Amino acid sequence: MAKDPYTLLGVAKTASQKEIQSAYRKLAKTLHPDLNPGDRTAEEKFKAVSAAYAILGDEDKRKRFDAGEIDAEGVEQPKRDFYRDYAHAGADQGRYTYSGGFSDFGDAEDLLSGIFGRRGGGGRANAAFRGQDRHYALPVDFLDAVNGGSVTVNLPEGGALDIRIPAGTRDGQTLRLKGKGEPGFNGGPPGDALIDITVKPHPFFVRDEDDIRLDLPVTLKEAVLGGKIRVPAPSGPLSVTLPAHSSSGKMLRLKGKGVKRGTKAGDLYITIRIVLPEKPDAALEAFLKDWAGGTEDPRRTMGV
Amino acid sequence: MKESDFRKNLSIEVTLLESWVAHGWLVPATTAEGADFTAADVARGRLILDLSRDMGVNEAGVDVAIRLIDQMHGLRQTLHGLLGALDRHDRSLRQRLIAEIVDLE
Repeated sequence: MAKDPYTLLGVAKTASQKEIQSAYRKLAKTLHPDLNPGDRTAEEKFKAVSAAYAILGDEDKRKRFDAGEIDAEGVEQPKRDFYRDYAHAGADQGRYTYSGGFSDFGDAEDLLSGIFGRRGGGGRANAAFRGQDRHYALPVDFLDAVNGGSVTVNLPEGGALDIRIPAGTRDGQTLRLKGKGEPGFNGGPPGDALIDITVKPHPFFVRDEDDIRLDLPVTLKEAVLGGKIRVPAPSGPLSVTLPAHSSSGKMLRLKGKGVKRGTKAGDLYITIRIVLPEKPDAALEAFLKDWAGGTEDPRRTMGV
Repeated sequence: MKESDFRKNLSIEVTLLESWVAHGWLVPATTAEGADFTAADVARGRLILDLSRDMGVNEAGVDVAIRLIDQMHGLRQTLHGLLGALDRHDRSLRQRLIAEIVDLE
C-alpha cells in the first residue's frame, strides 16, 4: 500500500486545491532529480510526490480518492527518463554541458578547461571521449534564411562544410551538424559543429517573426486609379491588384506570402507609399491649380 | 527521432517547441531531412515541462535554470575526471586530499 497522498504532500485533508498545488511545487523544486543530479534517492521521492499530486492535484480524482473509489496506488506514474541520466552518458555525453570556465582558479584554468572542459568524465586513461564541439558564426543572406538554401563554408582549419539552411531560419538560431566537430579520442565519436546564424538585413524586406513587411512605392496615378502592379515577394515577384483610391500608409496583406516554415506560412504586409514624379510636372501642376476637389483638410483632427 | 515524433512524445505544439529552440534550451541536430531529436532531448523537454507547467517557473526562470543545470553537469564531469585521474595516479591520494580539505574547514 502506497503512502497516503495527503501525508506525502504534507497537507491537511481539508486543504484547498491552491494549497495542494503550492505544497507540490515546493516539494518538486527540492526533489526533482534534474535539480539533484548527485542524489540517487531523489528520483524515488520525486515519483512518490508526483503520484500523490496526480491524485490530489486533480479535483475529480481527489473526490474519488476521498470517497474510496481509487486508492493511492491507482495512479501510478508512467516510467520516465530524467535528463541527468543523459547529461553525462553515452552518445549525448557533453552535448549541452559546459563547465563555465575556471578563470578564477589561476594557473589551473588552462588545465581544467582544456583537459576536462567539454569532454565529460570518463573512467580510465584510455577511455573513449567524444570530441569537442566546434562553434562557428555564419552570416546568412535574408532571402536564404527565408527560403532556405545551402552554403559552403571554408573552414579556417582547412576543409569545407556544407550547411543546409532550413527555410524560415531566424536570426540568432543555432544549427547543429552532427559529427562535424573535433574528432573523438580513443575511438570516441566526433563532436558536433554548432553554427550561430545571423541573418543579414534586406534592402526592402523587414522580417517580423514569420511575417514580412515591405514599404511599396507607387505612382500618384496608380494610387488614384488602382490597377495591377508588380510587387517583390521573398519567393519571387507577384502581381497584385491595387484598389483605386489607395492613400499613402494603406496596408495590404498577402496571406501566406511571408515566411514559410513547415506547414505554416506568415503573411506579407505591404504599406503603400505614394511617390511623385522625380521632376516637377507642369501638366500635373496645371491640373491641380484648376482642380476644385481635394479641399478637405487632412490635419483637421490635429488642432491646426 | 523526427520533429513530429518528438512533439507527439511530449504532447506539445509546434510553437512551443520553436520557442524552446529559439531560447537555445534545445539544439536538435540538423540533417537533410530536418531536425533530429535524441532520447536526451526528450528527457530535457520533459524537464522544461516540469519546470514551466508543474512547478510554475516562468520563462526567464527556466532560462536561468537550464543554463545553471548545464553548467552544473559540466562541473560534475570535470570533478569526475579529476577524481578519476587522481585515483589512477595514487589510490590513497584521494583519501589524503579529502582529509586535508576537512582539516582546513
